[in-house]
Amino acid sequence: MRSSESDEVSAPAATAAGARAVQVRGRRAPRTFPFVLPYLPFLFLFGIFPMIYAATLAFTNDTGAWAGFGNFERTFTDYRFVPALLHILLYTGVWLSLLLVLVVGLALLLHGRANRVSTTYRFLFYLPGALAGAASVLVWLFMLDPSVSPGSFLLRNVLGSHLFVESIAPGKLPFIFAMIAFWTGAGGWIVVMYGALNTIPHDLEEAARIDGAGPVTIALRLKLPLIRKWVAYMAILSFATGTQLFVEPQLVNQASLGLVPDTWSSNQLAYQMAFRYGDFNAAAAIAVDLLAIGLFAAVLVVTRTGLFRAED
Amino acid sequence: MMQRSLLSAVVVSMLALAGCGGDSADDSAKGPTASPGASASGKLTVWVDAARLPVAQAYAKEHANVKTDIVTFDGDGNGATTLQTKIQLWNRTGKGWPDVVFSEQVNDPVWMARKPFEFAAPLEDLIPKNLVSDWPEASTAQCTVDGKLYCVQDNVAPVVLWVNKKLMDQFGYAVPTTWQEWASLAQKVAKEHPGYIVGNVGDSYGHWIYFWGNQCPLEQLKDDRLLINSADEHCTRVASMLDPLIKNGTVPPLSVFTPDFAKKYGGANDKVLLMPGPSWYAQALFDQTLHIPAGQITAAPPLQWENESPTTTGQVGGGPWIISKHTANPTAAADFVVWATTVFNPSGADARPGLPAYAPLAAKWLQMQAENPYFAADPTPALKTSTSQIWQGWHLVTYPDQPVWSNTVVTQLVAGKDLSSLLKPLGDALAQAAQAAGYAVIRE
Amino acid sequence: MRHTARGFRSLILAAFALFFVAPLLWLIVAPTKSDEELVTRGTFAFGSLHQVGEAWAHLDAFSDHIYRAWIANSLLYALSATAIVLATAIPAGYGLALGNFPGRRIVLTLTLVVMIMPAAALVLPIFLELNAAHLIGSRLSVILPFSFFPFGVYLAYIYYATAIPHDLLDAARVDGCGEWATFRHIGLPLGKPVVALVFFFSFVADWNNFFLPYAVLGDSKQYPIQVGLSNLLSSTPSFNPAVGGGGQQVNIFRPELALATLLAVVPVAIVFMLSQRALVRGLIGGGVKE
Repeated sequence: MRSSESDEVSAPAATAAGARAVQVRGRRAPRTFPFVLPYLPFLFLFGIFPMIYAATLAFTNDTGAWAGFGNFERTFTDYRFVPALLHILLYTGVWLSLLLVLVVGLALLLHGRANRVSTTYRFLFYLPGALAGAASVLVWLFMLDPSVSPGSFLLRNVLGSHLFVESIAPGKLPFIFAMIAFWTGAGGWIVVMYGALNTIPHDLEEAARIDGAGPVTIALRLKLPLIRKWVAYMAILSFATGTQLFVEPQLVNQASLGLVPDTWSSNQLAYQMAFRYGDFNAAAAIAVDLLAIGLFAAVLVVTRTGLFRAED
Repeated sequence: MMQRSLLSAVVVSMLALAGCGGDSADDSAKGPTASPGASASGKLTVWVDAARLPVAQAYAKEHANVKTDIVTFDGDGNGATTLQTKIQLWNRTGKGWPDVVFSEQVNDPVWMARKPFEFAAPLEDLIPKNLVSDWPEASTAQCTVDGKLYCVQDNVAPVVLWVNKKLMDQFGYAVPTTWQEWASLAQKVAKEHPGYIVGNVGDSYGHWIYFWGNQCPLEQLKDDRLLINSADEHCTRVASMLDPLIKNGTVPPLSVFTPDFAKKYGGANDKVLLMPGPSWYAQALFDQTLHIPAGQITAAPPLQWENESPTTTGQVGGGPWIISKHTANPTAAADFVVWATTVFNPSGADARPGLPAYAPLAAKWLQMQAENPYFAADPTPALKTSTSQIWQGWHLVTYPDQPVWSNTVVTQLVAGKDLSSLLKPLGDALAQAAQAAGYAVIRE
Repeated sequence: MRHTARGFRSLILAAFALFFVAPLLWLIVAPTKSDEELVTRGTFAFGSLHQVGEAWAHLDAFSDHIYRAWIANSLLYALSATAIVLATAIPAGYGLALGNFPGRRIVLTLTLVVMIMPAAALVLPIFLELNAAHLIGSRLSVILPFSFFPFGVYLAYIYYATAIPHDLLDAARVDGCGEWATFRHIGLPLGKPVVALVFFFSFVADWNNFFLPYAVLGDSKQYPIQVGLSNLLSSTPSFNPAVGGGGQQVNIFRPELALATLLAVVPVAIVFMLSQRALVRGLIGGGVKE
């Protein structure tokens, strides 16, 4: 219980703030629907409607009649479905682990440092992000070839591959793809995490330091829990994009002269279903499968971290 | 299944109603016809792979009144499904088909002629019969689907035994005539000259080299069913023969087209002693890809299994040229295909890479190779005789089998497994691919 | 003890910096060497500028200067789509953050939900939609889907919800400004950081997008550079042995591929550099406590 003076001072301020809040969202809030209007056609045409259409395609057959779970059954029993699913689940698991551990770790490491050096490092980490997509895969095709790669020492001794074909051996692929995805994507998330760390009030850090906590304790016990929300966002978004892997295995399929199949990932299988066999219903079923997995992971993360609790 | 045929029927009838595509839309059974005696003109879109680019460019240059648009693509090589996805897209949108397509997959015309793609034009009315009769029977048979001719092949590609005469003479080895002699020579080479090779098994068409010629039934149509029996004795004996050779390094699981292969076995100090391979390896592979110096390479007849007669060999490619059913310029399209397969025959370094399928042109090409200073000895006798030795018990199917071989076998060979242990997975995977393509498969 | 901790920290950061940067350095140096030199000389050894010229000549000659078309396409798609995104997403974020209307919450939730959707899963229905509208084969089939950028809306929403003091807007309204004028004179100028941010993310996302153009474009002359790179990869004998080809016809080997990749990255790298400040400061900066 503090002094009554400050109570008196803070009470009117609180009511004023409360009144303002009510004003913004209440009857006197400006009608801003016209501002949102131009965006709505795009939201519906390329966001909502395709989602519904995909769901419809997944549960109907090619003549439009209801097919129940027929498409799901059909795709599930396709001999390429389970291997592709296992591939992307393993890939996503590896990639998420890399992201969660290394991105957060690197952001924490950077946060304790002097500003200019930290900025330089963040910039360097961020650079590969310019190469996402086909360009980054092409770069890594060279990096994985022991005869031209600067990392040939690592390739030969750590990965055990002396030839390009050995670098892309089936067992190594999920890890190779995770590494490529990490290389392109980590920098962006490090910047985000760093920014999130910047929102932590300095007094909290100071207080902890005065109490005698070392840098590691501060990082793990203080900073980490406070950026929980951002880590959760990263996990959700990355999980969704991870299961959709397409470019990397597609290009490696071309570069390996077919050694890596063109149905390595579930998304590739969906593409072949749609554009090679013309079976859009099967492709939609696979897409819905991926969506379901993504949503499941999202719900898991949201409930485990209480992500939406402090929302607006 | 139903939707595809329904959709294509709708597309075809819509095209007919709209009057698009010229003759081709009137009657889906009758393809476009070339106006007899008319010279080619107008616009022509041609899809070729990198190796066929020179012929397309040469045609464009010599036929100034045909506006030729050349598109380079992957040629559907190594079992890619590029053309399937593209044709689906074009069919669905009702436009965009090229006039002429070259494919590296000899089985492409089979599905191109059938539903739901229905892309290939029957050639009866486009290419005169007297020309077609000069293609080898086996070649036109491969282009004949459901009784109609849907393509003409660019080259014949029987497997022969390529020999490095210089090295063989240097080491004092005799050129083997049977697989057994080849295998025991390999054992000798591994002991006396480690690092030298007598073949390779890492290409996406390795099964066509070693299994097709030795009569292994991996793709044999029996009436309307497909026989895939990798446990057949013809298959297992080949695998048993190859296993020790893969192990001792004389038949590595590496593709001849990778830079790694060129570095290890090619160049001035090349280590290629023998190489069972198709006729088009000739100068294209040994000179231009592997940079093996002149005066070393020649061709020997395909290997025989023990004393089994007649000798049968495999086939790697053939390069079908296909004319689109939707072409608006059938005259120019036919003119292009005919010119590319019966006329185009540059000499020297720009020579056609493979043995032409069209017999008169083949004779000219063989004459050139007989006099080609690149070879250590005349390779043409072997090339000539092998053309008629391709085993006819391996049929063309609608799905690509190269990726199955690559994924199931080559990756595991690289990892050190035995070929013999991979025969069953190979058979199973081929059966799955066949069933997914709609075949009724029998396994024995 | 502190020194070893600091040293350890430096080591880790430096090692990762090396991991991120080394491939880029290799990429910059690779076109200066011939294919032979790539294998024989040191990986970061500088070749010659003449070699770069040769590599470019080969690359440009491929398929009738199609490489230039690919870059031009990417610029067209990314710039026009981003223009539409800016025109729609910024006002939308503003409207969602600072106003109210029936359905506001729904629009926000839908935007969020679509953000988590696997974009690739949407490509197939979008393809069918575009086909029904007879847009397949036109460049609009790429530009229009690209113009939908829910992440941009969400960014603008967060920014306007946290960075703009309500009193400022109230003051403007009290002065008699209508909503549009308020937005134009206050919302937009104050929103410069988020405009830069959305421009950046939209441009980069469009530039790097592979799956949508790959699926809907049939004519290789309309490909953006990412799809073009894959076309280059599969059409050239370095990675795809033509039946009977040694590559001399097409002349695209590893240095040419490296150059193609490098040039494909330049526009995005430029946008990167320009948006650096806005990125690092603006993304979370707006969410700081008042």
